[in-house]
Amino acid sequence: MTEAPAAILVPHGTVARGPRHWLHAYAVMVRWHLASLRLWLVVLTIVQLLAGVGFVLGIALFFSHIPTTAALFVSTGVPVINLLTVGMILGPQLVADQRSNGSYEYLRSMPVSRSVSAMAWYTVCLLGGVPAVVVALVVAQLRYDLPLHVSPMIVPAVLLTSFAGTMLGYALGHAISSPMATRMVTQLLVFVVFGFAPVLYPLSQMPRWLGAVNWWLPFRHMAVVTRAALTPGAHAAVLSGYVVLGVWAIVCAALAGRALGRRP
Amino acid sequence: MTAGAVEARPSHVPQSELRSGIGYWLASLASMMRFDYGRVRQWVPMMIVIQTLMGAGMALLYGFFYPHVTAIRALYITTGAPTLALIPVGFVMLPGTVAEQKLEGTFDYIWSLPSPRSAQAASTFTLFTLFALPGSVLALLVAAWRYDVHLALSPLLVPAVLLCALMAITVGYGMALAIASPMVTNVVTNALVFVVLLFSPIVYPASQLPAWLASVHYFLPFYNMAVVIRAGLTTGIVAHVATSFVVLAAWTAAGAAATAWVVGRRR
Repeated sequence: MTEAPAAILVPHGTVARGPRHWLHAYAVMVRWHLASLRLWLVVLTIVQLLAGVGFVLGIALFFSHIPTTAALFVSTGVPVINLLTVGMILGPQLVADQRSNGSYEYLRSMPVSRSVSAMAWYTVCLLGGVPAVVVALVVAQLRYDLPLHVSPMIVPAVLLTSFAGTMLGYALGHAISSPMATRMVTQLLVFVVFGFAPVLYPLSQMPRWLGAVNWWLPFRHMAVVTRAALTPGAHAAVLSGYVVLGVWAIVCAALAGRALGRRP
Repeated sequence: MTAGAVEARPSHVPQSELRSGIGYWLASLASMMRFDYGRVRQWVPMMIVIQTLMGAGMALLYGFFYPHVTAIRALYITTGAPTLALIPVGFVMLPGTVAEQKLEGTFDYIWSLPSPRSAQAASTFTLFTLFALPGSVLALLVAAWRYDVHLALSPLLVPAVLLCALMAITVGYGMALAIASPMVTNVVTNALVFVVLLFSPIVYPASQLPAWLASVHYFLPFYNMAVVIRAGLTTGIVAHVATSFVVLAAWTAAGAAATAWVVGRRR
């Protein structure tokens, strides 16, 4: 490695650019995250599986006889929540913890560009979310015998849902400097995603004005694109869903990038 | 000072030794409440806002899960809402605060203060009960307004709510003290809330549960909280209210015993 001597001479190091360096740094950062979070990720995966399966099974208790529509909405909404948990909810709290205990500055001093950091973190969030999605869907199918039909569109739907959520969390974690505020905001987001966004139940069951507010938020669209890829038939609003999600992802990535600053 | 006086009272023994007596206990309670309130004062407005928002929010969001909120469902959600609002304070906020105190070292500091530890515990109970009540009341008001439910308030409501709040806080405090590791406390409380919000017959009738789960809930506090509060808000919808009071009292006693056991132990 030619840049190694420079890294020794210059206290903060400099970042080597170019696709080859980018890929190398990316692989190293993914390994870094997986190694430093190994215990946390195991616990997280178990909690995710239990929460996903628990929600799929628990919703039946709300009804004497659960209607198929309700079961279908919960079963196709839980994957969205599983995908959001790591990137949008736990990610900012992790950054808040790092700020509290001082490892935040250390991580930022690493000689990788911020796009590498972001993509490596996104990969870890995907790895933390996808197993729970699969298990929750299998359990839902076994329990409710749902008319699920997985189309190839599930790949972009999952990728973009996770990306938008991760970038939102990334922006929250890095742009809000107070750890206490970060925790409050993420807890509020959990509440909104579970109860006040049409993720786990149809849009028609919430007041019209709340549905309109949700059009401007990403969660409704995450549910639309994911649900469209899991159920048969044509779906309106999928295209606009992708567009709104894309805009959220870009804006949040830009906010996070501004907060992080360019790595010299 | 003569050498003999130094021997009689070594300098590392604090001048104000631990005293006892009801007057001293009450004075300790008053100063501990001032101390505890002073520590959280800057967060109090936010805590109350979050409490009320969560309470009112939960009352609303359960309705969204149903295609049609029938009259009986509306009644169950409305009368379950105050119970739901009480649970997070006792089972999440209080253990969370204690876990944080343990991490920061404040916990050991408080124990080193020359006030009876029972007064310290009583001060925490009183403050958190006061935090819990506004959210609970607002949850009830919002739900009653949203679902247009007519309630029949009875005097039973006062002991019911107070016992529920005391039970949740005693058990939460006992749990936080009995579990040594703050990390484990965090996991346990989060898992508890999940189980409570989904799998407890608070906003829906117990008859919708599988029989085995329903019988488990007869012995857990959550279903019984809902029963006594519902009994104070309605007439003729719940039975075996006395049994529920007994179960709640037993849980309160168990929480107090766990607290007393940990607090009374010397380290």
